[in-house]
Amino acid sequence: MKHELVKLIDLSRCTACRGCQIACKQWNELPASKTNNFGSYQNPPDLQSNTWTLIRFQEHVDANGRLRWLFRKDGCMHCTDAGCVKVCPTAALYHTEFGSVSMHADKCIGCKECIYACPFGVPKYDAATNKISKCDLCYTRLAANQPPACVLSCPTGTLAVGTKDEMLAKAHARVKELGGDASVYGDKFVDGTHVIYVLTEKPGVYDKLPESPKVPLSIIVWKDVLKPAGLLAAGGVVAGAFLHYITHGPKTPDEETTSEGGNKL
Amino acid sequence: MKKGMIKATGPFERVVHWCLALSCLFLCITGMGMMYHSLNFIGTIFGGMGNLKVIHNYTGIFFGVSLFFAIVMWWKEAGLFSFPEDGQWIAAAGGYLWHVDNMPEVGKYNPGQKMFFLAVALFGIAMVISGLIMWFPLSYSVEMVRWMFALHALGYVVIFAFFFVHLYLVTIGAPGSAPAMFTGWVTRGWVKVQHPKWLKEMEKDGTLVVYGEDKAAGKKRC
Repeated sequence: MKHELVKLIDLSRCTACRGCQIACKQWNELPASKTNNFGSYQNPPDLQSNTWTLIRFQEHVDANGRLRWLFRKDGCMHCTDAGCVKVCPTAALYHTEFGSVSMHADKCIGCKECIYACPFGVPKYDAATNKISKCDLCYTRLAANQPPACVLSCPTGTLAVGTKDEMLAKAHARVKELGGDASVYGDKFVDGTHVIYVLTEKPGVYDKLPESPKVPLSIIVWKDVLKPAGLLAAGGVVAGAFLHYITHGPKTPDEETTSEGGNKL
Repeated sequence: MKKGMIKATGPFERVVHWCLALSCLFLCITGMGMMYHSLNFIGTIFGGMGNLKVIHNYTGIFFGVSLFFAIVMWWKEAGLFSFPEDGQWIAAAGGYLWHVDNMPEVGKYNPGQKMFFLAVALFGIAMVISGLIMWFPLSYSVEMVRWMFALHALGYVVIFAFFFVHLYLVTIGAPGSAPAMFTGWVTRGWVKVQHPKWLKEMEKDGTLVVYGEDKAAGKKRC
């Protein structure tokens, strides 16, 4: 059966050394792209098809007028109710036995639907390969009973991996210790993510971190309502037509008018 | 061709109809291959899901062009309702569902056909636009692209269901209809039953073309 694993990111311990960002590129053989300095240590500016995890640097002035420098490791949250898995037409995106969301790259047809289904903006498209890509929580490493590359590289104890219960207990204990605005993020929506944060500030404070992420309504209408409705409507029409034929009968010209090419008056 | 058959459609009309119909059906099949995992085997026929997507997209362009000609050709006759007779026809469900004594006489297109035309025209346009945005989504806002997926699915639900209504009526539901879109010639009896007002109009205007007679002879008939 499922052996659910959760990655815990305790942001109170992150020093933004970006070791995880490099370890990810190294293990997954993701070369760097040329980039631009946009006045921040955050580099590259956003997640990319070859940057699956990224430390976001954010200058934040809190309610007391105190300047805080916030670091957040961004990347796939590995949702249980995953929008990307829901929309993927080829089942290229799938849930692994660890509960994480992985991808069969050979099945991806580059339709980009997952990009729009993801509430976190994670999947990125690569025009060169015509495929999307994203973090797979180092599936091959998990399968070999090894921690993900980012977790292994982390020198401060920000990152940890373990069973869901273990990680949640650890996260809640840490939040209690921190007090203030600290909270656990990830266990309360999309049926629980397999990446969980300990946030030191309120969730709304962080750049690109939705306060209450969910599979978008349009995606639910599309996949949970209209997709079955297509078959139900067509099936209903076929059944209705048959019923019409055997009860009411077809609308047929009578024999007199039909004979001889229907030329009789 | 039997003598006395009546000309219902011209060759251009039939070509446009079949371009639209076959591309529409092909789009339904290939689209369903992508919508339902259990139908992914349809992709295999074309050499994989990637090819299926490419074929679906380019067929969509063909469909869009066919739809353009269909709308230009038919909107005046099939896209506008004429009152009050179309209202009465709709209230009586065209006499298709229960017995109706005094049906208003139907012209070239009955309101059911008009509804089908309008559904294909409006949702067809929506399919082309939403399909193009889905094909090249990266330059549009996230929220809009999300709703385009839903719109594309809604168009499929409507058009696919209407397709079966159409299929039933032109085959066993109203026998004698199909030849209008194959040979273009239908029987006088069929026209009298299905489109009596149209027959009278053509006789009055002298536009009735009867097989085996010249046009003038057709005119003499009334």
